[in-house]
Amino acid sequence: MTNTEIRPVGPEPSRIRRSRRNRGTGQPRKASESTAATTLRTRGTRLLAVLFLAPTVVGIVVFTVVPIVGSVVLSLFQWDVIDDPRWAGAANYREILTDSTVLVSFRNTLVFMVLAVALQLLIALVLAIAVNGQMPKWLRSVFRSAFFFPLVLSAASISVVMKYLFNQDFGPVNWLLGTVGVPSVPWLTSENGAMAAVVLAYVWQQFGFSFLLFVGGLNNIPKEVHEAASLDGASGVRKHLAITLPLLSPTLLVASVVGIINALQVFEQPYVLTAGGPGDSTRTVVMVIYETAFEQLRFGEASAVGVLLFALIMAVTALQFRLSRRYVHYQ
Amino acid sequence: MTDSLLSRRALMRYGAYGAGAAALAGVAAGWDRLTGADIPGRDDGSLVIATLGSAFNPEAQRALRDGFREVHPDIRIRINPVQAYDWSDFFSKILTQIAAGTAPDLVYVATEGVQLFAQRLGVPLDRWAKRDAAELRTYFADVHPSLVESMMYEGSLYQLPVEFNAADMYLNSRVLERAGADLPDDDWTHDDFTTLLRAMKRSNGDRFTPYFWTNRLWGGVVPWLFANDTNLLTESKAPGGDWLWNSFYPEAQRRGRGGGYRWTTPLADSDRVTEVYDYLSSLVQEDLCTRPEGGDGRNLVGVFSTGRVGVTPAGGFWAGGLHQAGMKPADYDVRYFPRRRTRRHQFGAAGYAMLRTSKMRDEAWEFIKYTARKDVMTQLFAANQTTPARRSMVDEARYRETGPAHWQVFYDTLDKIPTTGPIPAPPQVNEVEQLLIKHTGTALASPGAVRPALRRLQGDLEKAMEREV
Repeated sequence: MTNTEIRPVGPEPSRIRRSRRNRGTGQPRKASESTAATTLRTRGTRLLAVLFLAPTVVGIVVFTVVPIVGSVVLSLFQWDVIDDPRWAGAANYREILTDSTVLVSFRNTLVFMVLAVALQLLIALVLAIAVNGQMPKWLRSVFRSAFFFPLVLSAASISVVMKYLFNQDFGPVNWLLGTVGVPSVPWLTSENGAMAAVVLAYVWQQFGFSFLLFVGGLNNIPKEVHEAASLDGASGVRKHLAITLPLLSPTLLVASVVGIINALQVFEQPYVLTAGGPGDSTRTVVMVIYETAFEQLRFGEASAVGVLLFALIMAVTALQFRLSRRYVHYQ
Repeated sequence: MTDSLLSRRALMRYGAYGAGAAALAGVAAGWDRLTGADIPGRDDGSLVIATLGSAFNPEAQRALRDGFREVHPDIRIRINPVQAYDWSDFFSKILTQIAAGTAPDLVYVATEGVQLFAQRLGVPLDRWAKRDAAELRTYFADVHPSLVESMMYEGSLYQLPVEFNAADMYLNSRVLERAGADLPDDDWTHDDFTTLLRAMKRSNGDRFTPYFWTNRLWGGVVPWLFANDTNLLTESKAPGGDWLWNSFYPEAQRRGRGGGYRWTTPLADSDRVTEVYDYLSSLVQEDLCTRPEGGDGRNLVGVFSTGRVGVTPAGGFWAGGLHQAGMKPADYDVRYFPRRRTRRHQFGAAGYAMLRTSKMRDEAWEFIKYTARKDVMTQLFAANQTTPARRSMVDEARYRETGPAHWQVFYDTLDKIPTTGPIPAPPQVNEVEQLLIKHTGTALASPGAVRPALRRLQGDLEKAMEREV
C-alpha cells in the first residue's frame, strides 16, 4: 500500500498549520490560543445550530414521534374512549389480520396506489414535456397555474362535486358520454366503475404536484444534450426516452415516493364518493382506521391497522430507494 | 468477526435503547391523559348543549338560547352546533369531544344513537320525570307513546322526543300528471307501487328515475322490511317502564308498551328479508329506481323538484326543503309507504340526552323540559324541517304555505298505524348501519347477488351484535 492511496481528502496538514495565523498581524498563533478559539467557535456554531434546529426537532418529536409511539402503544390496548384502556397484547393484531374487511382494504389500497400513481406520473410527465415545449411564456404560465390549481382545493369538496359529476342517473359525465353514443356507465355503483371514479378524482387533484416537479426537473436538463442528440439525428421520442427520462430519474424518484406515500393514505375521495362501496370495493386502509376508531369505538384495533399501514409505507419507500440505486441517474 | 455482526458493546447499547423505549412507552401508557378540560379557562360554567348543526338554523338557536335565559337567568348555556353529514357522523364527532375531555352536558340524539348513548353515556331521566310529573302531563298527552317508547332503554327514559320523521312516500305531481296517474290510495300495495313506477318510466325520458332512495338505516331498505312484517334484527321489548305508562298514558295507549326496544339476533338471511331484497333488485334491474350507492340525499331535493324523480321516501322534514327549493304545495304530495304483508312504518325520533359526565344535571333537566314546551318547539320548527313530536303542532296552519295537501299522513302514520315502530338501532348501531349499507350495495349489484350478500350480512351482523360496545 502506498502513501498516495491512503492520503485523506482535503488540504494538507502543513497548509492547515499555515492558515492558523492571527488576523491583523499575520503572525502565527500560539497553539493553546488557537485551540481555545477554535473550540469556542465550534461550540458557538454548534449551539447556534442546535438553537435553530430545536423548534423543528421539538415539533417532529411532539407531532410525529409521540403520536407514532402512542399509536404503537394504543395498538396493544382495547380502548373505546369512554372507559380506561385495557391491555390486549397482540389480540388486536390477531383480530385485524383475520378480518376480511381489513385485508380487502389493504388490497384495495395497493391497487389504488398502483393505478393512481402510474396515471398521475404519466399525465404529469406528458403535460410537463408539452408545457416545456415551444409556446408563449404567458400561455405556459396559464397551463402551469391551471394544472396546479386543483391541488390547493379541498379534497372533500372536490369529491362532493365529483360525486355529482359521476352520478349514473343525473351526472354530466354520463350525459356527455351519452351525446357521443356511449351507454350510461355505472361509475359509482359497480366495483370497477367505482375504483375508476375514485382514481380519476384523485389523479385530477394530485397530478399538479408531480407536474410542477417535472417542470423543474426538465428545466435542469442542459439544452446542449438535446441539441447534441438532434445533431446526431435522434428523433423526438428517442430523445425523451434516451435523454429526458434518465436525466429526470431523480425527479421521478421524488415524485413517485411522495405519490406512493400519499396514495397509500388516501381517504377523502373514496369516503365521500363511494363510502367504500359497492361492498368493500373501494374501502381503503385509512377509511377502515377511521370507521373502526370513530364509528365503532375500537381505537386499539384502529391503531393496530395504523401501525400496519405505517410499516407498509416504510417498506414500500425503502424498496423504492433500494431500486433507485439501479434506475436513478444523477448527472 | 466481520463488521456485519454486532459487537457485545453494540448489543448492550441497543438493548439499553430498547429498554429505555419500553420504559418510556410504559410511562406514556400509565400517564394521566391530558385532555381539553385541563386547559385553564376552558370551562366557563355554562351548560353546553351539542346539536346537529343543521337541526336548527342560527335564528332558532338564538331564540332557544335567549328564551331559556329569560326563564332561567341563573343558568348560562352555550349551544355547540356540530356540523355533520348524518347522525352517524354526528355521534362520531360527539365521541371525539368526549375523548378530548370536552364533553357537552346535553347532546341532541336521534333514534340511531339512543341506545348507544343510554348504555354508555346517558343518564336516565326517570327521577326528574317523576318529580315533575304534573308539569309534564300536558307534554305526554300531546306526544304519541311510540315516540316516547323509542326513547326508553331497559325500563328507563333517556330523552323527551321533540321531533320525529316516519318514512312516508312523496310523489311529484307533475310526474304523476305526465304518467296519467292519480295520487295513489291510502292503502296502496307494492304491486300498485311497481305499476306506478312503470307508468312513470314510460312517460318520462331516459334521464328520469321513478324511485329514488338512500342507502342507510332510515328510509333505505328498512321501511320495505317493516312493510313485509320483518326487521333487520329480532325485535322485542324490555320489561319495565310501568312508572311512565301508568303516570302519563290512558289504558288504551299503554297496552303492550314496555321499557324500550331490544334488538338481538340478526334476521338478514330470513325468507322475508330476502323477498324484500329480491323486490328491490327487480326494481334496479328494471331501471325503475336508483342503485343504492347512487342515492344521495344531498342532491335529492334538486332532482325531485326539477321533475327528474317521481317518488321518494321521506318524512315531514322534506316539506320545508321542497318549499325552499321553490315547489308549491300543489307540486307534490305525500302518501303512506306502500304495504305488503303489513302497513307498518318505520320512524326515527330525536331529543336531548343528558351525559353522565355532566356536573350540571339539574340545570340540564331544566333545559330538556324547556325544549319540550310547545311554544319553544313552535319557534324551533317553524320552517317545517322536521315533524314536531307534539300532535297538536301538526296542523293545517303549519303546512298551508309549504304543503303537502295530505299533511295529516305525518302524524297519522303513528295514530292510524299503531304498529309503526322505530328503526332497529341497538347500541352497536354504527357497525350495524355500516354493514347494512355495505352489503345492500353488494346484494343489489347484480341479479343473483342477493342471497350470497345477505348470508354475509347475517354473518357480519352476528359478529357485530356479539361485540361489546
